[in-house]
Amino acid sequence: MTKRRHKFSKVLFVSMLLTLTVALGGCAGDKEDGDSSRIAIGIPQDLSSLDPNIAEGSGTQEILFNIYEGLYKPDSDGNLIPAVASGYTMSDGGATYTFTLRDGIQFHNGNPVTVADVKYSIEKCAGLNGGDPLISAFSNIESVETPDDRSIVIRLKEPSTVFLAICATIEAAIVPADVADLETNPIGTGPYKFVSRSLQENVVLESFDDYWGEKAHIKNVTLKVIADSDAIVMNLEGGAVDMMARVSTAQAAALSDKFELLEGTMNLVQGMYLNNAVEPFDNELVRQALCYAVDKQEILDFVSEGKGTPVGSSMFPAFGKYYMEELNDVYATDVEKAKALLTEAGYPNGFSFTVKVPSNYQQHVDTAQVLAEQYKKIGVTANIELIEWESWLSDVYQNRDFEATVVGVDASTLTAGAMLSRFRSDAHNNFINYSNAEYDAEYEKALAAEAVGDDEAATVHYKECETILTLTAANVYIQDMCELVAINKKYAGYEFYPLYIQDLAKLYIVE
Amino acid sequence: MKYAAKKLVTMLITLLSISFLVYFAFDIIPGDAALAALGTDSTPERLEALREQLGLNRPFLERYFEWLANFVRGDFGVSYKYKMPVADMISSKLPITVMMALISFAMMVVVSLPLGVYTAMNSGRRIDRLIMVVNQIMMSVPHFFMGIVLTYIFGLVLKLFTPGGFVSYETDFWRFISYLIFPCIAIALPKIAMSVKLLRGSCIEEAAKDYVRTAYSKGNDTRGVLYKHVLRNAMIPVITLWGMTLADMLVGSIVIEQVFNIPGIGRILLTSISYRDYPVVEAVIVLIAAVVIVTNFCVDIIYQIADPRISVGGR
Amino acid sequence: MKKWKAYPVNFRIGAVITGIMLLLIVIGFFYTPYNPTAMDNSAKLAAPGLRHIMGCDNFGRDIFSRVLKGMGNTFLIALATVVIGVVCGTVVGAFTGYYGGWLDEVLMRVNDVVFAFPSILLALVFVSIFGTGKYNVVLALGIAFIPSFARIVRGEFIKYRDMDYVKSARLAGVSNLRIIFVHILPNTLTVMLSSVMIGFNNAVLAEAGMSYLGIGVQPPDASLGSMLSEAQTYLFSAPNYAVFPGLMIILMVLGFSLLADGIKER
Repeated sequence: MTKRRHKFSKVLFVSMLLTLTVALGGCAGDKEDGDSSRIAIGIPQDLSSLDPNIAEGSGTQEILFNIYEGLYKPDSDGNLIPAVASGYTMSDGGATYTFTLRDGIQFHNGNPVTVADVKYSIEKCAGLNGGDPLISAFSNIESVETPDDRSIVIRLKEPSTVFLAICATIEAAIVPADVADLETNPIGTGPYKFVSRSLQENVVLESFDDYWGEKAHIKNVTLKVIADSDAIVMNLEGGAVDMMARVSTAQAAALSDKFELLEGTMNLVQGMYLNNAVEPFDNELVRQALCYAVDKQEILDFVSEGKGTPVGSSMFPAFGKYYMEELNDVYATDVEKAKALLTEAGYPNGFSFTVKVPSNYQQHVDTAQVLAEQYKKIGVTANIELIEWESWLSDVYQNRDFEATVVGVDASTLTAGAMLSRFRSDAHNNFINYSNAEYDAEYEKALAAEAVGDDEAATVHYKECETILTLTAANVYIQDMCELVAINKKYAGYEFYPLYIQDLAKLYIVE
Repeated sequence: MKYAAKKLVTMLITLLSISFLVYFAFDIIPGDAALAALGTDSTPERLEALREQLGLNRPFLERYFEWLANFVRGDFGVSYKYKMPVADMISSKLPITVMMALISFAMMVVVSLPLGVYTAMNSGRRIDRLIMVVNQIMMSVPHFFMGIVLTYIFGLVLKLFTPGGFVSYETDFWRFISYLIFPCIAIALPKIAMSVKLLRGSCIEEAAKDYVRTAYSKGNDTRGVLYKHVLRNAMIPVITLWGMTLADMLVGSIVIEQVFNIPGIGRILLTSISYRDYPVVEAVIVLIAAVVIVTNFCVDIIYQIADPRISVGGR
Repeated sequence: MKKWKAYPVNFRIGAVITGIMLLLIVIGFFYTPYNPTAMDNSAKLAAPGLRHIMGCDNFGRDIFSRVLKGMGNTFLIALATVVIGVVCGTVVGAFTGYYGGWLDEVLMRVNDVVFAFPSILLALVFVSIFGTGKYNVVLALGIAFIPSFARIVRGEFIKYRDMDYVKSARLAGVSNLRIIFVHILPNTLTVMLSSVMIGFNNAVLAEAGMSYLGIGVQPPDASLGSMLSEAQTYLFSAPNYAVFPGLMIILMVLGFSLLADGIKER
C-alpha cells in the first residue's frame, strides 16, 4: 500500500513539475528590452482598412495619418500646412485651385510622386473615373488637370473656401496610381511605412528614410490591438505596450508613476442627442427641461475626475473663432425650473424614455448612468440600453430609430460645416431630425457669405446657428471630453491635434 | 460498424441543420453589412449600390445553397470588413485557439488522471479531503475570474509573464506557447476539478464491484487489478466528460482570449459580430459547431470501443 | 424528517451556504442599506469600512447594496433559465421517451442540433440577432439548456414506460397524458433534482460569462457578472470591487453543487 502510494505521488509530482518547468522556462524569454528605437502603442480597435481613400472611422484614420498624406495636412494647431503639394493658389473666387507638387517627394516603394498620381488620387476620391465619389464634398470637383509635371489644377463646380481643408483629410490622401491593392500593400508618402499586419493583433510600421520632411525619431512602431478596455491597465503596467491614447481617468488613476499622463481634449461634442421628431422630445419645453435638470460639472466629477470642458452647443473650443463659450451657461442647473417646464409641457409627473448608448465607449456609458440619476430628481426615468457600435450606426444614426442617445460628435475638418451642416432639416446625416426653418435660413446665409469669400459674415451666421441650437435645446449638450494619453516615461514628444490624429513621428526616446 | 454508420449519418444531418439555422438567423438580423461598411458617411444611394454589389438583394435560398456549396469547398466567402477571404482570416487565427484548447486539454489529462486515482486510493484520508475541498471550490470559480486572478498574481505581482504580451506562433513558437500557459491554466482548472471528482468517484465505485474482489481472490496483485480492470472501466464516464470538455475548452477560450488579450478565433468572432461581418460570423460559428459535433461523434465511437455494452440501437 | 446530523457533510455545508445566499437575496429584494444606483461623489472607490462594508464603486455606489441587487438579478436569470430548460426539456423528454417513433427521431435530431451549440455561442448568436439585455440572455441560455434536461427525462421515461405498473395502468384504461404526468413524472424527480442544481450552477456561470462580455444585464442595473467586468479596471486601486462579487458567485455555485452532491450521496 505505501509503496503504491509512493509511486503515485511520484507520478503526480513529476507531472506537476513538468507543467511548472514549461511555464517558467517559457517565461524566462518573455522580457525584451535593449533595442531602444522601438515603441509599442495600444490601439482600441483594429484598423478597418489600410486604403486611406475608403478607410472609415476616426480610429483608423488617425493612424493612417502617419502612412499617408494629402496635398495638405493639418498641424498640431489646426493650421493647414503643405504636404504632397508645396503650395497652392486660389483663383476665380475659390472655384479653381492650383497646387504645386513638392520637389523630390517619394512614395514608400521608392517611386517619385508624379502629377499623374495626384490626378489619379483626386479623381478616385471624386468619383470622376466612374462610381460614386468616395468623399461627398469632392462631388463638387469639375475636373483635374495637369498642365505640366509640377502643377495640378482642380476646377470646382461651385466656389468653396473650405476645399483646402477637405484636401487635408486622410480620405483625400495621395496614393500611387500603379498600386492596385492598397488594402494589403499600403504605399503612401508619410513618415512611416507599413511593414506587416496581423488581424486583430497588430500593425507594424517602420520609419521612412526618404521622407521629405522631418523624419520620424523612432524606427520601429508596433500598434497593438487591445480590444478589451478592461485589459488596458494590465497591458501598460505589464509592459506589453508603452503608450495608449484616450485612457479613461479611472485607468489613468490605476497606473503607476512609470507613466506620464498627458491631458488634452478629445475635440468633440459629447451630449445626449435627442430625436426631435418623437414624443416627448418634439416639445421644445421638454428638451429645455432636460437641459436644466443636468449638472454638467457633476457629470465631469463622476466620469472624469472633473476633467473636460463643458459646452453648450454643437461646437468645441478647438474651433477658435466659431466657438461660443457664453452658450455654456444658458441652462444653469435648475431642478425647479426643469419641473416647471415639464408641468407646462404637460408632463407634471415626468415620463420615461430609453437612451441608447454604444457599449464600446465606457465614458458615454458612465455619462448616461449619471444622467439617469440626475433625471430621477425631476421625475424622469431614463432607461439605458447598451448597443453595439454597428447597431448604433444602423439603428440610431441611419434609421433614426431612437429616443435619445449619448455619444460624441466630432469633426473631420476644422470647418464650421463639419459640425453644423447636419442640423439642416434636409441634411442626410441629420440623425436627430432637427427641423427649424430659422436655422436652415441662417445656415444658407453663412454658405452664401462663404461663397463670396466673406469669412467674417459667415462666422456671424454660423454663430447664430449655434445659438439657435442652444436656445431651442436641440440636444442636451454636455462637454468636450478630456483626453488622457498614458505614455511610458521612456518616451516623449506626444502632440495633441485639434482633430483625430495620432502623430507618431514626433515621438522620441528620452535618455 | 452499423452503429458508426448510423452515427455518421446523424452527424451529417446535424451539421447541415446547423449551417442552415445559422445562415437563416444571420439573414433576419435588422441592419446590414452594407451600412456597417459605409459607416456614418453613408448615403442611401451608396448604400443601395453596395447592397447590390454584395448580393444582399438576392433570394434567401439561392444565397444559402451557394454559400453552402462554397463552404464545403473551403471557400467561406469574403469578409465585408477586411475585404479578404474569410478562410485566410480564420486559418491564421485557428491554430492559436486550437493550441489553447489542446494545451488545456493536455493539462487536464496530465493533472487529473494521477490526481483522480490518487484521491480515490486515499479516499477518506486528510489529503483526499483537502484536495476535494480545493476541487470543489475550483469548480465554482468562473474561468474568466480565474483568468483575472492569475493575471494579477502571476503577471503583475510575480511578473512571471507580461499581460498582453502575446507573441504569434509565426514569430516565435516557444514564446507563443509560454504566453498561453496561464490562459490555459485558467481554462483547465475547473475542468481538472471536474474530472478529478468524476474519476475519483468512478474509481471508488468500480473498485467496490464484485469482479475486483474476484480478481484479488485469483491472486492478482493490487496494482495489476487497478490498472487492468478498475481504471479501464472507471475511465468510461471520464472519457465522455473529456470529449464534451474539448468542445467546451474551444468555446471557453472565446472568453479567456478577452481576458488575456489573445487574438484568436474568439476575438475574430466577437469583433465580427459587432461589425456585422456576416460571412466571418457564420463561418466561425459553423466551424466551431462542426468541431463540437465531430468531437462528439468521435467520443461516441471511442466510447463504443471502450465499452461494447452500448447497444447498436444506441439510445 | 431526518435528523440534521444524519445528512452527509457536503449536504449540510451546502445547505448552510445556500441558506445564507438565499437569505441575502431575499433581503436584497426588499431592503438594501443604500440605494444601489445612488451616486456619491465623496465616496468614489471608498475602501470597505463601517459605512460601506464592501466599499464603493467608481460612482460612489455602495458595493454591498449592489452585490445584494446583483445576486438577486443573477439568481433570477439563472432561475428563469433553468425553468425554461426544465419545463421544455421535461415536456420534450417525456413525450419522446414515452411515445418513441418518428416524433422521437425528429425531436432528438433537433435536440442534437441545439446540444451541439455551446451555450455561450448560442447566446452570442441570439444577442447579435435580438440585441443585448437580460431577457434575450435568459431566452438563449434557457433554450441551450433544454436538450440536456430532455435527454435525462427521456432516458427515465424509456426506463419506466415498459414497467409493469405502467402497463397495468394502461390496461386499466388510464389516459396516456395521465400516465405521463401522474404515474411516471414523479418518479423522475430525484434524478432531475440534482441535474437542476447543476444546471442552475451552469446558468450562474454562463450569465457571469455573458455579462463579462458586456451582454446581459444593462447598467445602471447590476448582476454579479457585470460588476466583475466593471471591476476589472479597478483591480489595482480597489480590489475589493472585484473580490466581493467574485466571492458571491463562487459561494452561490459552491453551495448548490454541495447540495447536489449531498442529494446524490443520499
